[in-house]
Amino acid sequence: MTTSLTPLISDRRVHGREPAVDTTERLTSGNREADYILGGGFPANSINIIMGHPGSGKTIFAEQLIFENAAEDRPILYLTTLSEPLAKVVRYLQGFQFFDETKLGTQVVFEDVGGELAKSGPDALIPLLREAITTLSPKVIVIDSFKAVHDLAPSAADRRRMVYEMTALLTAYGTTAFLLGEYTEDDILLYPEFAVADGIVEMSRRRLGNRDERYFRVYKLRGSAYLEGAHAFRITRAGLDIYPRLVSPQLPEGYEPATERISTGVKGLDGMLDGGVWRGSTTLLAGPSGAGKTTIGLQFALEGARQGEPSLYMNFQENPSQLMRTIRNLGVDPDVAQAQGLDLVYASPVELQIDSIIVDMFRRIQQRRVRRLVIDALGDLASAATDPQRLHDYLYALVQHFAVSGITSILNFETTGNTIAGHGMQNAMSYLSDNVLLLTVDGEERTRRSLRVLKTRGSAHDTRVREVEISSAGLAVLG
Amino acid sequence: MEHDDDARAVILIVERDRSVRELQLFFLNKAGFVVEFVDDGQCALDRVRVDAPAVLITEILIPKIDGLTLCRLVRNDPATDQVPVIVFSILAAAARATEAGAAAFLRKPLVESTFLAAINGAMMNTNAVVDAR
Repeated sequence: MTTSLTPLISDRRVHGREPAVDTTERLTSGNREADYILGGGFPANSINIIMGHPGSGKTIFAEQLIFENAAEDRPILYLTTLSEPLAKVVRYLQGFQFFDETKLGTQVVFEDVGGELAKSGPDALIPLLREAITTLSPKVIVIDSFKAVHDLAPSAADRRRMVYEMTALLTAYGTTAFLLGEYTEDDILLYPEFAVADGIVEMSRRRLGNRDERYFRVYKLRGSAYLEGAHAFRITRAGLDIYPRLVSPQLPEGYEPATERISTGVKGLDGMLDGGVWRGSTTLLAGPSGAGKTTIGLQFALEGARQGEPSLYMNFQENPSQLMRTIRNLGVDPDVAQAQGLDLVYASPVELQIDSIIVDMFRRIQQRRVRRLVIDALGDLASAATDPQRLHDYLYALVQHFAVSGITSILNFETTGNTIAGHGMQNAMSYLSDNVLLLTVDGEERTRRSLRVLKTRGSAHDTRVREVEISSAGLAVLG
Repeated sequence: MEHDDDARAVILIVERDRSVRELQLFFLNKAGFVVEFVDDGQCALDRVRVDAPAVLITEILIPKIDGLTLCRLVRNDPATDQVPVIVFSILAAAARATEAGAAAFLRKPLVESTFLAAINGAMMNTNAVVDAR
């Protein structure tokens, strides 16, 4: 990952008021995106809870954090309690790229205190911590799992006293603590550790068909701004791959919509649009299967490449080989088009979360300085979204980013017939889009395709239904 | 570090947090100092006037006389002005501590290495160690 995320999350919808100058000393989470979400990392010398169900990724997150922070000045202490034996933790840890065996025992110290806690009860934790602080002077202390220690306490009063004493000790010494636990949201109101925690991060997992969706969320971060909401992530060998939630951009001062028209690359269509589409505009291209949406999208992207404008074609149905064949059928050498700046991307919406698709798309836009974009098709993107509101928010933010960045886009949308009425997402997209075009297919003996401009924002347009034809030269408006 | 009992320097600390006291006592004993604790600014002032410690360490938020006032009183009295004062507080008050005449300011929480460095620096009358965290 090399590109800046700034355009992705330039509008920091943050919790509370952001201080004019944030002078809080920070401890990196070891994860660039998590640090961004956390407003720069965890406040140093704080007590934080990393909560989530078993398998949600909290141990991996903590392990990535400790190895990234490991240094020679002060060690990091990782205490395993009664949740998972130390041998098991270390065995699976070795499979990750951030694992560094040379740091073990010196910069990163693992210690299993489960036996002592089982024998002497939860009160044994305080002297264990005091001894660790006075002998190791750890910069970071991880207790995995703290909930397991908590559950050993015989009464609520004992739990509260133990948490109070631990907090007093950890607050007195300059160390940043992470308490991991299989907590649920309901526990936040019940367990005293949540009241004393400076930061609370939740890792959650939701099953969707045959795949899982994982989310990273900050519940609380005292004295610090943070990016609200659920941020999708995947677990990879490099650790957590987090996709900070896309939010709408702030319009730059003096922002004005572009006044330049650009060609769609479709013969006759520019004329219907009074000379082409505005640069930075978004066009919703609706129509049933076989009407010509992909052909128009490809012509639009190829026209951009011909004019030296990097063009991105995001496709969720045909793999790049299939698309290249389609391009050849249009009489264009796909290698030449790609050399000119055409980027064909295939993503399976079955395997991916919408967040990863959108973030990948933005990274490509930033890396390649994309000027034209086609998404083929919105319906596939919708199938990757479990939450219609989340999809809507994403699409709204996307359109705003495109407008601000001067990226001209076509969003294909497949209808079930020759009308766009009745499609909930289309209704939402119609008002977000600057232009709405409808392709239709009729005829029994001969297929008759037609195109109609339903809406253009800030422009005159041809109001007639125009017949179109698809040939080896692509789609063209007849007459 | 080997110390002759009679020659061990006395550190007077005004601190009410039990956990902080425990850690201060542990680290300072380990480093060879004798540690005395008092609970408030007035007790500290009385103690300094009777028998000057090698270093006075005070939190700002303490009863009767606050830590910054205590620092000024000690530093402005010719009978006690040789006692270096370290302000060790939860408050971000480096500038105010310097203005009050502190030899050093440290922001809580405690870190062994910086804590001992500040004390040694104050005892050697070196430049103030100011930690403005």
